Amino acid sequence: MPRPSLRKRLIASSARKSSASLMRILGGIAIVVVSLLAIDAYINGALDTVTSNTLTPSIPYFAFRTLTRMTIAYAFALAFALAYGIATAMSHRASHVLLPLLDIFQSVPVLGVVPVVFLIILGTGGGTPPPEFNQEVASIILIFTAMAWAPTFGVIAGINAIPTDIKEAAHAYGMHGTRYLRQIVLPAVFPELVWSSILAWGGGWYLIPVEEHLSFGSAPNLTQVDLPGIGKYIAVAAVNADLASALFGLIVLVGIIFAIDRLVWKPLGVRAEKYKYETIAAPRTTATRQSNVAAGVKRYEDRLVSPVLTFFKSERSYAARVLEITRLRRLRQLTERLRFPERITRIPLWGRLLSYAIFVGLVLLGLIVTIVSRSQSIASGVSLLATDVTGFELVAITFLSVSRLVIAYAVALSWTLGAGILIARSQRLSRLLVPIFDIGQSIPATALFPLVVILLVDPFKNSPLLGFTLNLASVLLILTGMQWYLLFNIVGAVNSVPNDLLEATAAYRIRGGRFVKEILIPASFPAILIGSIQAWGGGWNALIVSEYIGPNANVPGLGSFLVQATSKDPALATVEIYASLLVMTATVLIINRLVWRRLLRKADRYKFEA
Amino acid sequence: MSQSSEPILQIKDIAKIYPGEGKSTTVLDHLSFDVYKEFLCIVGPSGCGKSTLLRIIDGLDTPTSGQVLFHGQPITSPSPKIGVIFQTFALIPWKTVLGNVLMAISSTPVSKEEQLKIAQKYIQDVGLEGFESSYPKELSGGMKQRVGIARALALQPEVLLMDEPFSSLDALTAENLRREVLDIWRDPAYPTGSVIMVTHNVQEAVEMADRVVVLSARPAKIVDDVKIDLERPRNPRDPVLYDLADRIISKIS
Repeated sequence: MPRPSLRKRLIASSARKSSASLMRILGGIAIVVVSLLAIDAYINGALDTVTSNTLTPSIPYFAFRTLTRMTIAYAFALAFALAYGIATAMSHRASHVLLPLLDIFQSVPVLGVVPVVFLIILGTGGGTPPPEFNQEVASIILIFTAMAWAPTFGVIAGINAIPTDIKEAAHAYGMHGTRYLRQIVLPAVFPELVWSSILAWGGGWYLIPVEEHLSFGSAPNLTQVDLPGIGKYIAVAAVNADLASALFGLIVLVGIIFAIDRLVWKPLGVRAEKYKYETIAAPRTTATRQSNVAAGVKRYEDRLVSPVLTFFKSERSYAARVLEITRLRRLRQLTERLRFPERITRIPLWGRLLSYAIFVGLVLLGLIVTIVSRSQSIASGVSLLATDVTGFELVAITFLSVSRLVIAYAVALSWTLGAGILIARSQRLSRLLVPIFDIGQSIPATALFPLVVILLVDPFKNSPLLGFTLNLASVLLILTGMQWYLLFNIVGAVNSVPNDLLEATAAYRIRGGRFVKEILIPASFPAILIGSIQAWGGGWNALIVSEYIGPNANVPGLGSFLVQATSKDPALATVEIYASLLVMTATVLIINRLVWRRLLRKADRYKFEA
Repeated sequence: MSQSSEPILQIKDIAKIYPGEGKSTTVLDHLSFDVYKEFLCIVGPSGCGKSTLLRIIDGLDTPTSGQVLFHGQPITSPSPKIGVIFQTFALIPWKTVLGNVLMAISSTPVSKEEQLKIAQKYIQDVGLEGFESSYPKELSGGMKQRVGIARALALQPEVLLMDEPFSSLDALTAENLRREVLDIWRDPAYPTGSVIMVTHNVQEAVEMADRVVVLSARPAKIVDDVKIDLERPRNPRDPVLYDLADRIISKIS
């Protein structure tokens, strides 16, 4: 007996889907038009503001400069990642020091390094701006510190993922040295390198709105950085409270990020798939449901909207593909990081001590270079430090900063967990939301700062609510730096719950809330942890900019302490900048040890066997 | 095992078609057969849709046309009277052996204490006493499948579905487990009447089954329905079994 009702349902749903995509495009156009009108009405003559901005004609040149800067920094990051990664993965002895050192390095909030790098490279301005070459070097070093870590982990993960039989075969056929490196190691590393490079560029873009235009210290020790670039365009617009130009700069920035994503990473990602070892079974292909009626509707529809539709379809499938691959890559990196705590505990004490010593040594070296180059006395700095800030105050502001991070984290975790589960359980929601989140994720959180300032801070300048809105702005900005890591990890985890387990829970009728509580959340536990660690990294970065918005707009915390330190007495500034960097790194490391490491050890149970 | 009685399950004209761009793929081509109180094996070449059929019988998958009747009632979603054993065990890694078994019966209308008692009884019955608080990761493949069996039996199902239950195990373990499953099934204390086992191992099928339904390559059709009336326990080296196996293999290929 055929079941006409089911067939009908299928046809109806396919037809609905086709017309739904048409509706969505029309709806999208309507939304764009309405919001453009609204923006136009709200900010009268927004376009006029942008066109009358004297910096607007330089936008193409700015884009070129920003891109060049990023590319140079990326080349260094890539070289570093390959050297460090290969050394770590190939030499057991070296890994005893290199692994914990890498762990410390990636725990340092990148934006916290900004003042240090500026102190060393730019010195005191003494009223005159430092040469542009020095500024450029400083900015490239900064971008490098944001880019280097993900590819390094990628290289290590890639080498560790080479199956033992391949290694044995290579040795059996007498492949050694550079031949082994060229024919086995580099191909194995390639896919990981491509996907972690996307992360690296994301980290780089994050810095662009911050480091191209900023001043630092106060007269007469003002150090001004002013490099042509998109970040400068946005920053200048924000300083002038020019929302239209800030938005325009943001749109250009996102446009560039998107263009690079499609022109460089998309083809590279496709090629990377070739080099992959099949360790994780390919996901089950789901048959597409279509019918004659749907095909008819589609043919008719095609004539009208085909080009637009194809574009959106390819974007959608690309987003889905990225999600799929990031899922696999994250799984790989996840196992890598999950193995990390185990490995760290297995690392001999001398290795750990040596790595801490190297880190402290590097910081001291930086301090000495700074002091010598600025002919300051460390003793006067330290004695000034004691009069400027007590140990108790330092603890108190650290506590304030950590509580801001905790609040932002709680908000981020609750919404992403909800959204992640919805996306993973509903194909339709996934198709609708993933591209939106994809765009949201590609906007560097720092680029949103000017918008938040214009909307949340400026209108409340003379209001008693300012304290509240400043804290709110700070938490919001931290949130923008945290949420995507959590979301994408959770979506990936929920998507990778093995099919047989889903069937077993269905067969034993575990549904609804029990299914979420007993299956989905435990299944995503390791990914939630990984996402949380990445999110806290992003949060610490955001913290530094979010707490100090301006001289009259700041909230007490480690971040604002660091920024304010730069405008104090030169000797004191040096000491305080290094002190806050050390406190910050120590706090991050302590939280890692006390919270994440412990939970990661527990996470082992929640992993699925390969 | 009289077959004159009412069938327990009726598979009626089941078809599964995946519509694709341009051409659609037919996986199951209108299959019909009845299942009585018996040990039934479904054999066929890999990828012919045996597992899909089993999933349709449990209500995990929906057929494109046709229906499955359980005591005359159509099946649309998993029933508490049907237990399933999976090839890959499908154990939850963060639950203990006891937790995995309890999961299966947690939606039955029995008190918590009663559920605990039932779970413990079946864990004992499959020989896992003392492993209640172990995690799946700590168990061997054979022991994992024992947990899968205990989980299915704890439901006290009328029908037991097994999807290649021994294919992931080494030969010795599989041999032992086969014997134990047959012993449990033949024990009159167990309520399970019908077993449907999907396998591509023809030797295993003729050794265990009262009846073997043979499917062709995709699109799957029933090419043979073989009754095996041999005494149990059977000798795996019985020449009659080899002849039966040869007959089935020739039908498949």
